Amino acid sequence: MANYYDIDSILVEEEFVPVVFQKAINGVKIDESTEKGYVEQGSKTQLPFWLAHELHMRQAVSIGVPACFNQKTRLEIQADAACVDLRSRCPYFYEFGCKLAPLCDKSIGLLLAYAFRIRYKEVLHKAHTTAFAAASRFLMLLTKEETYMYEAAQSSMAAFKKWRMGGPRLQRASILGRKRKPAE
Amino acid sequence: MAGQSDSTMSLFSSEEIEFMAEDEMVEIVPNLRMDSLNFICGDYGPFYPQLAAQVPIWLALALKKRGKCTIRLPQWMSIENLTQVLEAERDSHAFQPLPFHYVEISRLLFDLAREDIPDMYMVRSLIEDIRDVRFHKVETNLEKFTASTVTWKNMSAMEVNVIRAFAGRALQAFYKHDNEQQTPDTDRTLDKQPQIPTDRPKRNLKPR
Repeated sequence: MANYYDIDSILVEEEFVPVVFQKAINGVKIDESTEKGYVEQGSKTQLPFWLAHELHMRQAVSIGVPACFNQKTRLEIQADAACVDLRSRCPYFYEFGCKLAPLCDKSIGLLLAYAFRIRYKEVLHKAHTTAFAAASRFLMLLTKEETYMYEAAQSSMAAFKKWRMGGPRLQRASILGRKRKPAE
Repeated sequence: MAGQSDSTMSLFSSEEIEFMAEDEMVEIVPNLRMDSLNFICGDYGPFYPQLAAQVPIWLALALKKRGKCTIRLPQWMSIENLTQVLEAERDSHAFQPLPFHYVEISRLLFDLAREDIPDMYMVRSLIEDIRDVRFHKVETNLEKFTASTVTWKNMSAMEVNVIRAFAGRALQAFYKHDNEQQTPDTDRTLDKQPQIPTDRPKRNLKPR
């Protein structure tokens, strides 16, 4: 997970978060339409997480709770976590939440753990029973991490079934199939 | 290549597990005279006609393919034992002790030594049933997963391998979220019980 080159962990930080500037900053524009060449104290905007995080460490901004963790989503998750469309809200719901929790709202951690526990069961259940065609609608609701889990379960089950059905016991090594290049 | 494992999804492919299973010992009755065979993994033989000998499955199958021996069915693959195991599997939540490679061994013997198995059809359907019951049990157990200790006894190689990728990811995620908040909120973690029919109508297991 914590791999430096992990593409998912880079993409997580691209998610936008609402911020409020605590300081006036010169030479920066957050809105093309304004004439002023500086940002006033107390102005609000959306910044990618990686930028907001850096500014937060310098006490330049305070980070708010993004839409995917707002009260409405929380209520929906508490009602029936398995049916909430998390993918459209934030494909990296869990990873983003983990990064965000220490910065703005500690209770996000609880929400994540709760949501994951319920949704995990749903993924488990669907991964082993549903046919692929019927599953596509369900897959639309899953976050990236859940999709990986689902695919892991499906593919190892499919591999097992393939092995059980049999087939040729001896396989040609891929290197043997090649023809030698004709001498020029 | 299909026989090799895909490093991202799971550690072993089914073919590799089958390869490991071929090291298990089995009893054969050779029909030829042969001096003992000395391999890195051990010495087998000497072989005398009609005298039983213990050899690994790969050797037994190699001899069998050449018509040099008959394979004796392992003790656990007898119909009485399998019937007992199947009933015990259905009655209890625990896994019954079976050889670690029972799925692979039975498949190898069904494929390559079918004339040595009396009541082949019955044995095969019993083992299929046992496997189905156990796989279902594995799934039920997976539902009760949390980041706390997980202890399942007597799981077989293939059962572990099928859930390896999924369970690995899930445990990692549970661990991550549980570490996120050291004090779990107890009243919110009450989840509803999974609705799994625990006892299916029992079938009469008389030999057909």
